Formats: sequence, C-alpha cells, structure tokens
Amino acid sequence: MPNGSSGKILHVNLTDNEITEELFGDDLYRLFPGGKGLAGYLLLRDLPAHTDPLSPENILILANGLLTGAPLSTATRFTAAAKSPLTGGYGESEAGGYWGPELKMVGYEAVEIKGRAPSPVYLAIIDGQAAICDARHLWGQEPDWVEMQIRAELVSDKARVLQIGLAGENLVRYAGLTHELRHYNGRNGIGAVMGSKNLKAVAVRSSSGRYTNFAAHPQALLDLGKRFSKEAKNHPPSWDLHEKGTLPLVSAFNAAGMLPTHNFQSGSFAGADHINWETIEQEILSGHRSCYACVIRCKPEVKPGGKYNLSQTYGGPEYEAVSGFGSDCGVDDLGAVAYANELCNRYVMDTISTSATIAFAMECFERGLIGLDDTGGLELRFGNAGAMLQAVEWIARRQGFGDLLAEGSYRAAQKIGGDALDYAIQVKGQELSFHEPRGKVAVGLGFAVSEIGADHLVSIHDTLLQNPASVSFKGAQALGINNALPARLLNDEKVSQYFLFENWVSLGKVLGLCYFGPAPRSFMQACDVVAAVQAASGWEIDLNELLKIGERATNLARMFNVREGFTRADDRLPERMFQPLKGGALTGVAYPREEFEQALTHLYRLKGWDPGTAAPTRTQLEKLGLEFLVNGR
Amino acid sequence: MAGEFPVQPVKLTLGGYLSSYDAQRRSRLQLNLEQSMLLSELLLQLDIPVSEVDLVAVNGEQTNLAEAWIAPGDKVELYPPMGGG
Repeated sequence: MPNGSSGKILHVNLTDNEITEELFGDDLYRLFPGGKGLAGYLLLRDLPAHTDPLSPENILILANGLLTGAPLSTATRFTAAAKSPLTGGYGESEAGGYWGPELKMVGYEAVEIKGRAPSPVYLAIIDGQAAICDARHLWGQEPDWVEMQIRAELVSDKARVLQIGLAGENLVRYAGLTHELRHYNGRNGIGAVMGSKNLKAVAVRSSSGRYTNFAAHPQALLDLGKRFSKEAKNHPPSWDLHEKGTLPLVSAFNAAGMLPTHNFQSGSFAGADHINWETIEQEILSGHRSCYACVIRCKPEVKPGGKYNLSQTYGGPEYEAVSGFGSDCGVDDLGAVAYANELCNRYVMDTISTSATIAFAMECFERGLIGLDDTGGLELRFGNAGAMLQAVEWIARRQGFGDLLAEGSYRAAQKIGGDALDYAIQVKGQELSFHEPRGKVAVGLGFAVSEIGADHLVSIHDTLLQNPASVSFKGAQALGINNALPARLLNDEKVSQYFLFENWVSLGKVLGLCYFGPAPRSFMQACDVVAAVQAASGWEIDLNELLKIGERATNLARMFNVREGFTRADDRLPERMFQPLKGGALTGVAYPREEFEQALTHLYRLKGWDPGTAAPTRTQLEKLGLEFLVNGR
Repeated sequence: MAGEFPVQPVKLTLGGYLSSYDAQRRSRLQLNLEQSMLLSELLLQLDIPVSEVDLVAVNGEQTNLAEAWIAPGDKVELYPPMGGG
C-alpha cells in the first residue's frame, strides 16, 4: 500500500558526475518520515565527522516531509540540510513555496548531493530523468535571469528552480537558497555549501505527478484539505496572516517592550511607527502571494518604485527583515529597510544574519572598536541607512569590510577583538532572530539549545500560551497543556511545556508543515495532524508516536553536534540577555541566569540526555530506535 | 457655543487579528466618548472578546485590562497573543 512516499532518494556525486537511486522501505520511513528526520539520518549515515563544511566532502540534503505537496494548506515545506559553515554543526533550513511539492511529484523524497563539480553546473530532474548540466554561463548572474535561462534550456516554463545567488557563490557563511524568486531557505549558510560544490541550481519538474499517487487514502486527504481551508478562514490568528502576514508583530512587540532595537540593547524603537504594518500597507505593500495549495497566502509583495526604486521581482519584507534592518539597525526609513530586504533576496542571503551582523558592526563602531579605516569609510552608526545598504552590497560581494562581515558576527568579533564578542548576539555562531528572550523565556531556551544555533522556530512562543481563554491556548490543550504560564516565568513546568512543543514543532519540520499550520499558532489541531498523517501514510499512528518522531529528529541533530564536539557549554545565551533591557516596557528586565542553568538541567533530564554533557544517553538512543548511533559516538 | 471645546476622540488600535472582530476589519478606529469608561465595557460594546486581548497600552503605558479606564483623547492599543513567524 502507498505510504505517502515514493521510497526513493536521488544520489548525486558532482566530482564523479554520477547519479544513482536509493530505495528505502516502510520501516525506515516510519522512523524518519522525511524533512528534518530523513535529512538528519542521511547526514549521520553518510557524512564523516569533522568534515570541512565548505569542502567537497560535505553533503547537501534536500528532503521533503511526508506531507510536502499534499493538498493541505501549509503542507509545502522542504528541508535543506548540511554541515553548517556558520555553526560548524548540524545545519538546516526550511522553505515553503513550490519546489518541495514538485520534487514529491517527480518521485523523490530527497536528493543527496556530494562532491564538487570542476566548473559550475546545475542539476535538472525532469519527469524522473536527472542530468548534470553546464552552468558556467549562469555563474554570477541574477536569480531572475538564471531562472528564465534554465527554464528555456529545459524547455519547461514550469520548472521549479532552486538556486543560490551571488552570496552563495562567494561563500558568505549565511548564504541561502531561493526558488520562484521569493521562497528562501535562509538560515545556516546552506547556500554557501551549495556554492562550494559549484552547484548553481537544482531544477525539478513533473508534468503528470500528483501527491495523491503516493497517498494511502487520497480521498481522505482531499476531504481534509477542503476542511482545513474553511477552518483557516475561521481562525482569526491564521487569517490575520492572510491579511497582514507577519508584519503586525512590529507594533505588538514595540508596545510590549520586546522589539529588538540597536543590537538587542533596547526593546523599544522610537521609529516603530515608520516601519509597522499600517505604514507598510499604506506605502509599499501591493498584495500577498501564496505557497503551493495554501489559502493563507502570507507572502508580502511590494509596489515598484519609490526613493529606492523597489522591484517586484523578489517579494517583499516580512517581520524578521523589518525588525532586523529596521529597529535592530535603528533605521526608520521604510524604503531603505525594504531595499535591504530586496538586496538580500537578490543576492540570496539570510536577512536575519545579514541585518544582525550589520547591527553588531554598528555597535562596535559606536563603541570605538572599529573605525572608518576598518570599515572602508562607512560611518556604521545605528540609523545610518546608507551605510547599512552599502554593507549589504559589500557582504554579498565579500568586498572590503564586507568580507569580514560575510563571516558572521561570531567570527568577525574574534577578529575585531576587545569586547567585540559581547556584542555578537549569536548562539553557536548563528545570530538571534528578532524575538526578545527577556520577554519570552522559552524562546530564549530554544535559542540556547537549538542544534542549528539561535532560531525562533524551534518551539512555541510563550506569549501564545499565557492567556487561558485565548484561541491559541485552546489549541495547546489538545497537546496536553493545562496551565497558562506567564511569558517571563521560567520554572520546571515551563520547561516541560517547552519540551512538548519542541517535539511538536520538530515534527512539523519532519512532515513538511509550515509553522503557520499547526496549533497553537494556527488552525490545524493536533487531531488534524494525526488524521493527515494517517491518510497519507495509511499507518495506524497516534499523537504520541508522532511526537516521538519529532523528538527523534531533534536527537539526530543533537548527535550530529555531539560527534562534532559540541557540549553543554554550547547551549548558551549571549551575555547581553542576562543584562537588563534599556528602554521600553521591559526596561530593567534581564533573563534569569540562575533559573536558566536549572532549566537546562531539567530539560536535559526530560530529554533523556546527560545533564553534564548535554548528549543523549545510550538508553535514550535505544528508546528512540537510534541504536545505530550508540557505537558511533 | 463659546467656552465649549470639541471632544477629542479615543484613538483605538486593534493590533494583529483583533481587527477581525471589527465588522469593517479596521485596525485603527476613532471613537467619540462622552465620558470616561472601563475599557472592558467598551470592548463589550464593540464585540471584541476580552479573552483574545493579551496586551493593553493606554497612552503608551502598559496596563491591566480589568482595571483600565479610558477617557476622551486617550490613545489605546490592544494586541492579541502574538509570537513566532
């Protein structure tokens, strides 16, 4: 019976110009049903420890989730994974859009790419036929031209082209991937890995594939899809994403004193009204676009023109880019913020790490750790929009001072010296996304323990769970949450809630669900996720087994890092978080240091990890069906 | 009439998805109040569920919804539970 999977992985060795297929069975798939789980398994199986992330030996995995491409709103995402050149650990980044669904339809669950081509190439997978094609003429070109050219060469105007940009070619350590010119695997520098392989793009197209060909109960999935569409429209937090995307967070966080400002020194930005949703809607927003089969349609589009001659080619800014280039860099010029986002999209590099690294440099400049001689004449002060935009350009090109910033804030701080490391707001080398741990302590815990370095999509944010009568909290109750806890309370119960949601969110990354699908953030209730998996896979499976799948995937990522030498000391927060916020409604509030250490210990125990080393115990690995990792440790 | 000043409206922001509870889905409203009143009473009149209000700021100061009084001319911001994304 179909189980939601084609049972096939495509292996590509760019050094040997060799393409092969691997078949896998239901037993393996039930343990690692795609996405983060399958990618983690393949990396641990096939990638030797201590591989240089930018060497030919690193492995790039592009993996669909079990539900990627299913006719369900928000079931669109795929995982791009490799050893990260930014963190030196497990690297992973998800994107929605259309590429993952197309790969599913063409008949592969994952593509595993190793080696390095002698000159630039792209990989084409068209109706089950895969080929490595010359891309020397595409190297250095902009994504819109590259996409058009590849479609012309493949005689397929509907080919989905996943590609790197200038930043990936130049090995910027936080370069990403893009497809359809507006969907991004932003984090962890996977684009630099792809660039190091001389791989410009991976194009996929299926002229006749359907997800339902692989599903155990296709009609049940279609019925669920229809119901989900209605429920998304009737769920206010979900439908607000349709109407406004993520941009309302700017005003809400500013009012709450949690809008990261001036490199996380303050939680309140005087210019917030210039970059909030209302202003963006009036001045630059032209509408929204969607991902595959998703009714939410949260991706913003901008009007062309204006002072910075904005282009519609690469999509508009979302919350992270607005807070990063806006409040965190102290810039209240909306056009400049949107243009910085456009540049990152054009050069295909992470808006979060780019803006955070520039904010770090601004603080170093203002504190006198670097001067005009170091920055090539750039007056890198908070609020200087022109300097910020120039820095983005230089980073993508690794030009002048941009070459240092292209290394990320952690490495740049080490070279700058002095107190610079105190101003690098990062964990494991990856910059914090723009969520204030001092106002949302479980988000801070997630920043600290996340295997990919600081990221906001590893658990559920505290603010969604502090009001027991809210729609969000009701969505959490089906997962076993009974008590609403204040957002700034860090105790054992909060840690237990964090652990549950970490497994739940990790499951979403295995299945290919967007963060904006499942409860408590959105409309898809716990029983709906179970029903969707049952319909796709035909498995008799319950919520507990699904949560174990999420937990298993996190343990794989953790074991990858353990193998690389990561320890409890790497599960940390930037020192700034333990200092009081200056400015805004949370002035004077610091992350509770003592409770943090207690929380880590409690969390490791819940996870079955050794509290001393932060590594999974042998018993835990066996419990999760990961015995094969016991001897490889 | 000499000696009378126009009453300043209350400027109400319905942040995030709270605007979905307004019939016209507005995120910014101006309301004319004749006198001070409890904010929770006003929300009742506007059909905005207090269960979805997570943060209240009156004239830029955070306050507790149950205790919040508003007066003509006040700037009131309401936000639902928000996080992630």
